[in-house]
Amino acid sequence: MTDAVIAWLSGAWAVFEKDARLELRSRYAINMLLMFVLASLLLVTFGIGQEPVSTRVQAALLWVVMLFSAAVGLGRAFISEEERGTVLLLRLNTRGSMVYAGKLLFNFLLVLGLNLVAISAFLVLLGVEVRVPGLLALTVVLGGLGLSGATTLLAALIARTANRGPLLPVLLFPLLVPLLLSAVSATRHALPDGGGWPAASGELLTLTGFAGTVITAAVLLFDYVWYD
Amino acid sequence: MPGALPDIDLRRYRWIRNGVVVWMTAVLLGAFLLDIPRINILEHTARNLYFHVPMWFTMMAAFFVSAYHSFRYLQTEAPVRDVRAEQAAVVGALFGILGLLTGMMWARFTWYVGTGKWWNFDPKQTMAAVQLLIYGAYFVLRSSIEEPRKRARIAAVYNLFAAVTLPFLLYVLPRQMESLHPGAEGNPAFSDITHPIMRLVFYPACIGFIGLFWVLYTQRVRMTLVRKRLQDHLDPEPAL
Repeated sequence: MTDAVIAWLSGAWAVFEKDARLELRSRYAINMLLMFVLASLLLVTFGIGQEPVSTRVQAALLWVVMLFSAAVGLGRAFISEEERGTVLLLRLNTRGSMVYAGKLLFNFLLVLGLNLVAISAFLVLLGVEVRVPGLLALTVVLGGLGLSGATTLLAALIARTANRGPLLPVLLFPLLVPLLLSAVSATRHALPDGGGWPAASGELLTLTGFAGTVITAAVLLFDYVWYD
Repeated sequence: MPGALPDIDLRRYRWIRNGVVVWMTAVLLGAFLLDIPRINILEHTARNLYFHVPMWFTMMAAFFVSAYHSFRYLQTEAPVRDVRAEQAAVVGALFGILGLLTGMMWARFTWYVGTGKWWNFDPKQTMAAVQLLIYGAYFVLRSSIEEPRKRARIAAVYNLFAAVTLPFLLYVLPRQMESLHPGAEGNPAFSDITHPIMRLVFYPACIGFIGLFWVLYTQRVRMTLVRKRLQDHLDPEPAL
């Protein structure tokens, strides 16, 4: 590896480390996301009541909860920088792509943790039975990658707008329709009456392509958002 | 910065506008007066082909025009590119709404007659709805930023980002939902089921609607530029 690559990697890692350390200090995002996921899941289960839910609905509920909590929680990534007034420092000391990569890694880990909590809560609360755990795990990883890739760029975008809060879901959801559809379908194949690995290959490919495309486009576009 | 805004060739604009007016009149006459083969269920609603499908094409064309100008804006930072991207999106959204409405009506009285359903999650319908949501988000985003340069840049980034995710939607939706549209899996392709006389009107209608888009779009661009010039003239604020 050349020096430039190492410098870039260490820069991105430094951004990630800074965010992780700040997060561990206050635990604001983690706690909020945890509570959001649990509260919305409980609401869903209260709403459904004792009715048995088809696997399609189970998968859809899981991913809708994921999308909403991502839209609520991950938007903080850049707004907090603006609020603390640390944007300029970050802009001076690192390159745009490093910031994007570091924040992306942080958001991705948050999404994964979130998924873990949500899925285990689903297993308990709705009595969901997973037949192909590996497929579900891969779907969550690929879906989480696409989700955090898109959300990280849009979070940087809305940090530049006047009223930051409720804008992220509005911008995010239309873009994530392909991700939602593929992820729900792949998740369904991992549940009892689904087709397992062979049936889900198309969805997994789509999720991989979506994550790759979104992250590539975001890296290319990020500098336009980040610098004035 | 009025100097940075290009002048518009009015003569060419008027030529095209008049051409589109004559052309669309001919298309409308042909659409309603020419005899068409009566197909079971479809009957005279088949004439909607001349309006619904070209509207849909026009919306896609507008989307590409908008994304192209967003891309050029990021390259050049020329304010006129931002104006063009926005106005293409405005007119495109208009055609999208019209296409969605005509499609809903058409489906309601042919495919879903007797069911009372207005919305059936056909892939193309869902895609149109998502596309309109993206346009809506784009306008909301624009209205949330005050400073013109920042607004132009952020909106261009969002527009391009949305354009990048669109092919996935085109790929994913037909796999997830069944379609009654021609050309979908198992359905006959468009050209197999369309009588030559309908094609005689349909193709000109496509050109006519795209021409109509061009007229409305350039008109709106010009209006915005004039308004901007007037504003700069009345209230020459130093640029931020």
